Amino acid sequence: MALARSTIFRFAALVFLLQLAGAGVLLGTVRLLTHHQITAEAEARTDELRRALIDDYRRGGMRALSDGVRQSLLPARAQGSVLLLVDGGKQVLAGNLAEWPPSLIAADAPATLELFRTGRDESERIYASAVPLSDGARLLVGHVVESELRFTLILEEAMIGGVAVAVALAAFAAWSAARLIHRRLASTVDTARAVAAGDLARRVPVDHSEDVFDALGVTINQMLDRIDALMTELKIATDGLAHDLRSPLTRLRSTLERALEACESDDARASVARAIDEGDRLLAMLDTALRISRAEAGLGREQFVAIDLAGMVEDLVEVYGPLAEDNGFEIVADIAGPVPARVHRELLGQALANLIDNAMKYGAGRIVVSARSEGRDVIVAVTDQGPGIAEAQRAEALRRFGRLDAARSKAGAGLGLALAAAVAHLHGGRLELGDNAPGLRVVLRFHADERGGAA
Amino acid sequence: MSHKILVVEDDASTADFVATGLAEHGFVVDRANNGRDGLFHATDGSYDCIILDRMLPGMDGMAVLGALRAAGIDTPVIILSALGSAEDRVKGLEGGSDDYLTKPFAFAELLARIRLLIRRAGNGAGAAPETRLSCADLEMDLLSRKVKRAGQVVDLQPREFRLLEFMLRHADQVVTRTMLLEGVWDYHFDPGTNVIDVHVSRLRKKIDEGHARPLLHTVRGSGYRLGQDG
Repeated sequence: MALARSTIFRFAALVFLLQLAGAGVLLGTVRLLTHHQITAEAEARTDELRRALIDDYRRGGMRALSDGVRQSLLPARAQGSVLLLVDGGKQVLAGNLAEWPPSLIAADAPATLELFRTGRDESERIYASAVPLSDGARLLVGHVVESELRFTLILEEAMIGGVAVAVALAAFAAWSAARLIHRRLASTVDTARAVAAGDLARRVPVDHSEDVFDALGVTINQMLDRIDALMTELKIATDGLAHDLRSPLTRLRSTLERALEACESDDARASVARAIDEGDRLLAMLDTALRISRAEAGLGREQFVAIDLAGMVEDLVEVYGPLAEDNGFEIVADIAGPVPARVHRELLGQALANLIDNAMKYGAGRIVVSARSEGRDVIVAVTDQGPGIAEAQRAEALRRFGRLDAARSKAGAGLGLALAAAVAHLHGGRLELGDNAPGLRVVLRFHADERGGAA
Repeated sequence: MSHKILVVEDDASTADFVATGLAEHGFVVDRANNGRDGLFHATDGSYDCIILDRMLPGMDGMAVLGALRAAGIDTPVIILSALGSAEDRVKGLEGGSDDYLTKPFAFAELLARIRLLIRRAGNGAGAAPETRLSCADLEMDLLSRKVKRAGQVVDLQPREFRLLEFMLRHADQVVTRTMLLEGVWDYHFDPGTNVIDVHVSRLRKKIDEGHARPLLHTVRGSGYRLGQDG
């Protein structure tokens, strides 16, 4: 069960159980101490009385003892005393009990018994001890502890009520503590998710309480500042590189365009036009290399838009249809329904275009472009029926400027698959090369909503 | 009356190329080589179009554009920039520019975009939308979605219709592959080898085959042109 695995739930449960145990220990201790105190007091009183009566007995025998018992039970002195003197035949000689309690045996340890005092119509709990005398006579000395025990009962009931309230409070305290921790950590998790989804400006809210959560927030924010700075540096570097290389290329192109206008012969025009095309190809390579760097660094997530990938695939297949036909291929879209996803439309389009272009350059037969949803993921694939790429060569094929022997004779810079892999990474996913038996199967797999988890 | 264009570009070679080319096509051109001078010129409101480099010394192109728009000057502006990612384009267009062209560019493309912006500004709001487009004996009815060449119906696929519509709207101008990708397919990426060429070549077959004078021409090193003379 997910809840039981939750650290915060376990923490809350631990807090609750500890508070419950604390309340239980407190209740038990109070009960024990109260009982101990009542027993100790009753024992002290009965001891004192027993000692006085035994003195009477030693001084004047059974008669003096009987007198002593009667004296002790006078209303002015009784104060809850219970006494019973019986002879060897269990005949009552003096005392305020009707008969000797059968459960109390002389020389036994003192016990608390429920007995009726003479003239009382309610039984009472009495702490009593028995003293054996000569000729089988016995003396019971005791003290009524009914009211003390009743008080203890009331105290226990009050304490059980208190514990019930304490349990409720403990549960509330545990729940509050768990919620507080969850809230403090949730803001950190939300920030991390937002950053992973491309919002580099997000920071963990800090309250300057200087506790451990605050320290965690501050540390994460410092880390995010550093990442932000590195991303900015990368953006400046790639922008600078683009600008510094595009300016001379702009001059080169404008010079060639003017030369093209001035050309008299067709041959010269064709040569200059080829030079312009080569310049454009060089620029396209530079653009792709920069795009790969930026995509790998996660730059561009703020450009994500919600689109239907099925529509994108169908559109691309329609664009490539005539070219495929002219080159002896067949290209089809394999779509079962809408495939909604948040993507960088331009980069994903370029990546898919590269994969289709590769299939036409190195593949054969039927090219299938498919898109489908699979749980939280979307899967876009391009398959062909050409020679494919041997498993041992797949890593090389994905490397920037990596070119396999079969590709050396064809135009290209070896950036197509590398860009597709970088775009998959930007979308929090991956690119997989597989066997289409026969042919190559290239799969882009990523989260439909990249905010749900990023690479 | 010739149109006035302001070119704000710090790279002398690029500025020369653009200014000379525009002058050859009948435009009156003023130049500024930094943002402050560009803003000073632009604020007199006498230009039909402003070509503004994004990275300028002193005052950045986007800042010049912001100041212009804040001052209520709505002259069409084309941003020229070495930064060509989707993000850069969106920033440029959101910053108030009417178009965004990435360096290096084909002059023909710049020219076509300038003309389109000037025409749009001239039409203004309230102008009746066009229902027919034509070039020589080629006619397109936008309401019935019918195309005729010399009175004969030409059967076109929906995409071919849009491609021809784009070419007709830019008749007698060079349109580059980039312009077609953006205008017809709404693609801001390069689908690679010959994809556009094949579509244009199929369209050419349908509108020119069997006719003495071809209308759809390839312009070497630039793109295509729909017009009467080769």
